Amino acid sequence: MRRIQRNPDVLWREEDEQRDQARNALEQGDDAEDIATSLLFNNGVMLSLNILGTEIWKLCDGRTTEEIVAELLTCFEVEEDELSADVTAFLNELATKGFIRYGE
Amino acid sequence: MGNEWLVKAPLTINWALNNSCNFACRHCYSRVETGEELDGSTLRACFDKVAKLGVMAVNFGGGEPLLRADLLELASHAASLKMRVSMNSNGYLLDQAKALELKQAGFAAVGISLDSHEAAVHDRFRGVEGSHVRALAALGFLQGAGIRTSLSTVICTINQDSLDEIIALARQHGVSRLNLHNFKCAGHGLANKDELDLSPAQWQAFYRRALAAKERCGDLELSFDDPVISSLGLPTESSLVKGSVCGKLSLAIKANGDITPCGFIPVVIGNIVSDDLGEVWRNAPLLAKMRHKEPHGKCGTCDHYSDCLGGCSARALALTGDINSPDPHCWVEP
Repeated sequence: MRRIQRNPDVLWREEDEQRDQARNALEQGDDAEDIATSLLFNNGVMLSLNILGTEIWKLCDGRTTEEIVAELLTCFEVEEDELSADVTAFLNELATKGFIRYGE
Repeated sequence: MGNEWLVKAPLTINWALNNSCNFACRHCYSRVETGEELDGSTLRACFDKVAKLGVMAVNFGGGEPLLRADLLELASHAASLKMRVSMNSNGYLLDQAKALELKQAGFAAVGISLDSHEAAVHDRFRGVEGSHVRALAALGFLQGAGIRTSLSTVICTINQDSLDEIIALARQHGVSRLNLHNFKCAGHGLANKDELDLSPAQWQAFYRRALAAKERCGDLELSFDDPVISSLGLPTESSLVKGSVCGKLSLAIKANGDITPCGFIPVVIGNIVSDDLGEVWRNAPLLAKMRHKEPHGKCGTCDHYSDCLGGCSARALALTGDINSPDPHCWVEP
């Protein structure tokens, strides 16, 4: 079971105003996918994450992919299979870019 | 992510700690600065302020930061606030002991300036004999101490044809990144512009070579900070903002605490000691203008404007008096 850790060298910050905007959008049933709520910065590479990406990022604290998906299912109304596929793809992208590491 | 998005605070502040320098470089933007330098306790209080606002990284410059007697203390304080601490230096004053002290103080990265692969050219340009040898030696000391290193080269007439040699030198000395800075018309750079700056056609030719070199650089990262390059099809998907990042993701602070949009725009928009940085960041009229640029002149009919947003505002301002003017380096004729 691979456990996922944020790369400690990554600087990151949640953007309060955009996070509130995304939460309001979700509460009203609107799409918040394009609202960036956090910034990640590592060795000259910057990423912006939407609210789901940000929540996944915050859960990369030694949990497994399954544990992250289980936690997200308590917060977001989505199908588990769809969410699991999205989370796996997103984590693989973060790993490729060096923002997270897989461990045992 | 578009041009409209405003982050709550700069990600990075380029912070000049001092004006003093042991070199006399002919392109230096800051040699004309004569203002006072903030003392250590004032600077530490300022670091507290910016960290609280959410600034994630400070990059020390000057002047030569190593001439500042309390540099280690300042870096240590900034690092204790969880900010990434880095520095640009000419490397002349670095030895093994100093590199270890820098590491202990919390420096994550240090960039060393290098103007040519040829020692004589570099030394003559910087006005100090032996500076090339010591710059390269500094890289070894820093790497030995566990500090990430980069080389920074300001592209100008003395090195535009030496890209392959500079890349080879960077690889030979184990740096992780080579920063190819575009020439800025500020300070001595403005005074010596006619001798040192390239023509638009020369910039185009240089960037074509540099982009081709980037493809074959492997582990060595080639970094460009010039928005005019977008017209050559440089992928922009990882960019958070279009055009220049100055005033959108970063700010500059001078040795006396004056805040400017970048180190090359001599327009003061506040002071870090006396003003609220958040207020300046959100409401400074010049920053608003830089975040909402308007196409003037040939930019009005250019297909690339949505990516480059007119290029470098500092250069446009320095040479035309209008940040919305087309970047004087731009070669595109729409």
